[in-house]
Amino acid sequence: MNIGLSLPDARARFPALVVAEAEPLEEAQLLTRLCDWCSRYTPLAALDGRDGLMLDISGVAHLFESEAALIEDCRARLASQGITVFIGAAGNPRAASALARFSQVKTAPEPLSDKVFVKLFHDLPLAALGLDEKTVADMARAGLRRIGDIALRPRSPITARFGFAPMARLDALKGLERSSIAPRFRPPDFCAERRFASPIQTVEAIEFQLRKLADNLVVLLERQAKGARRLELSLYRVDGEVRRIRIGASRPLNEARAIVRLIAGRLASPHEDAIDAGYGVDLMRLACLVAEPLAPSEAELERAHEAERALALAELLDCLSARLGARAVTRRELIDAHLPEQAEAAPSAMLGRARLRGEEPDKVVEAAPARPLRLFARPEPIEALAEVPDGPPLRFRWRRILHDVTAIEGPERIAAPWWRHADMPTRDYFRAEDSEGRRFWLYREGLWGRETMRPKWFVHGLFG
Amino acid sequence: MSPVGRAEGMARLRRVIARIEAESGPASERVVRRLPLVHAFDSALGGGLADDALHEIAPAKPQDGAAAMGFALALAAGFLNRRPASALFIGEGFAAEEWGALYGPGLVAHGLSLSRLVFVRAPDAALAFWAIEEALKCGAPAVVVGEIWSLKGYSLAASRRLLLAARKGKVPALLILASAYGQAERLSSAAETRFEIAAAPSARIPAAAGFDIPGPFACGARLIKSRLARAGPFVDADSPSKDGRSSKRPTDSPSEDGRPSGRPAVCDQRSRLQTHDVDRVIRLQWRSQDMTFKDMTFRDIGVDDQAISLPLAAASGDRSRAAARPRR
Repeated sequence: MNIGLSLPDARARFPALVVAEAEPLEEAQLLTRLCDWCSRYTPLAALDGRDGLMLDISGVAHLFESEAALIEDCRARLASQGITVFIGAAGNPRAASALARFSQVKTAPEPLSDKVFVKLFHDLPLAALGLDEKTVADMARAGLRRIGDIALRPRSPITARFGFAPMARLDALKGLERSSIAPRFRPPDFCAERRFASPIQTVEAIEFQLRKLADNLVVLLERQAKGARRLELSLYRVDGEVRRIRIGASRPLNEARAIVRLIAGRLASPHEDAIDAGYGVDLMRLACLVAEPLAPSEAELERAHEAERALALAELLDCLSARLGARAVTRRELIDAHLPEQAEAAPSAMLGRARLRGEEPDKVVEAAPARPLRLFARPEPIEALAEVPDGPPLRFRWRRILHDVTAIEGPERIAAPWWRHADMPTRDYFRAEDSEGRRFWLYREGLWGRETMRPKWFVHGLFG
Repeated sequence: MSPVGRAEGMARLRRVIARIEAESGPASERVVRRLPLVHAFDSALGGGLADDALHEIAPAKPQDGAAAMGFALALAAGFLNRRPASALFIGEGFAAEEWGALYGPGLVAHGLSLSRLVFVRAPDAALAFWAIEEALKCGAPAVVVGEIWSLKGYSLAASRRLLLAARKGKVPALLILASAYGQAERLSSAAETRFEIAAAPSARIPAAAGFDIPGPFACGARLIKSRLARAGPFVDADSPSKDGRSSKRPTDSPSEDGRPSGRPAVCDQRSRLQTHDVDRVIRLQWRSQDMTFKDMTFRDIGVDDQAISLPLAAASGDRSRAAARPRR
């Protein structure tokens, strides 16, 4: 049974034949998918006609110990996916294609001696040269059926009658002419990969491996003083699927952390191409598709300069802390608390530094209530005069000076957490501006009528 | 490039620079980047506040300390905006007790990023000066803000030390002299500039009922000292006519709301630095969103001021300036 046999003939030979409609589109898709899958062996994987794949395994076979082991690995993995393949290996694409499709012997030794060439190829049909059907039929009519038939004849009559193709193909088969393949993907300039004996499935494990890949890739990039502009992470799943995540960077990246952060963001996102590890991933490859030299630009130098300054700052803080005490050199952190005096913490600058590094700048919430620049540790009592007991103050006396309120905002009611300070009165805060333009943060302690009959007034802070 | 390679590159460039300087003498010209404030000050400051000098800020009255701090913090935010480094606030402990400690949520609202601020509390003025000097010399901070209460130890020599440290580290120093109210004009120091800051009514937001709502930070600022400017009656640089009318032009046109538009950041001709009126109060409003000051001197701000119309203020020359000054 061979390709080209008509259905009735085939049925006559095998009565139990299972017949399926040809679906060229899906077959092509399957082949493309297989081609992607095969890029686990080599980055140079190409489609070969409508029914074949061509892999350039030069310099790759040793990773699998030998060519034979590579072929066996490929055959076994594809068999587990339910795909039977014929694999040929030779020193050039034409010969490999011919062996895979037409020969019983599937591997040609390299280099190829004339004697072995005669033995391997002379008996193969001319179709093994990849000539079109018409040429093959024409040559068959002239009595030329096997490769040996034209290989032993003078070239010029054959070229004169059948064109340049047969002899050119023959040269290619012998490896006398350079032939190239058109890989589906441009081979990456730099790539790092990891294979796993047992497939990994969790996103955490994938991220962990990604970090190691990024470290390896950065080492490769650094050797040539380059940075990655476009990166691709390929995840080869056990079931033959290949998932790819591509990212771009606005400047050449050569820090593993930055690379991991960009890709991990995509791994975690609930995006449509988010990672579905399926039955597990047995090979991960991180490839740098586009690399650019890391020119020591002005900005680079400036960054280096700033890094030096950051070091100088650390030394300065150590020096100040040593003389003034660690408690005297602090940073400020915002705390999500309602009581104003609890809304910030002042950790020592030496403790806080590691935690604060790389943090996002504080976001200023537009609608956030105004807060003063300075806050008194102990709110200072004032005498305030209000129109009604629960209204805003009209004037107040603080530190023996009388202030007339000319503009005011409030009240902003802040109650202490009742589960902690059950008896702490509620505060009504006002932002008041006096006639000279000084702005104060005042509050009235106690809700009139409910918590107290004589609410007390305090100034808690000063605005600029 | 690896960190090691980068460091080597820097070291190599430094050697090259050292060689050039050895041949042709050190770079004698002081290269200054300036932080522009508002038009009215920039002409007297030569384009703005120098980033390697000592600038003093004094409150006009005892209770204007918060306004002075607000002004200093606004300048610090401006300097921070220009360089990806931290700012140091070094305060004498007594100032914090007297006027309250700086409050994180308020600083964020003022336009500062807390992750880039370090606060140092010194027990007395001498240690505060030491800390400020150390911080300036090391060159790491983007700006150092000092708040000093006791002025006993602050002499010409002490200020000279700070100025030299600022020059060496190329870090601007903003020194708040918290107890120097009323003495700002009598102090003698090596500082490059000195401002006197008074509280000023903010640009209020009208409310539906009752009082208006106070607006963002505003203050009245007087430039008492600028080493680049000569003191004297104010004449505008762009229109050096003796006509009093022209001197008002730049500030009341709406297109120049405090931005130094179209002028070089560094004033190149000494002659262009005009004499400066030390009595002139500029009312500034701080806009933390875009980190700029807005000059409100000749704008209607409060309900009370609406009676003064702009043409009148422009026509009446010197007297209008006196009227624009906050009551003191």
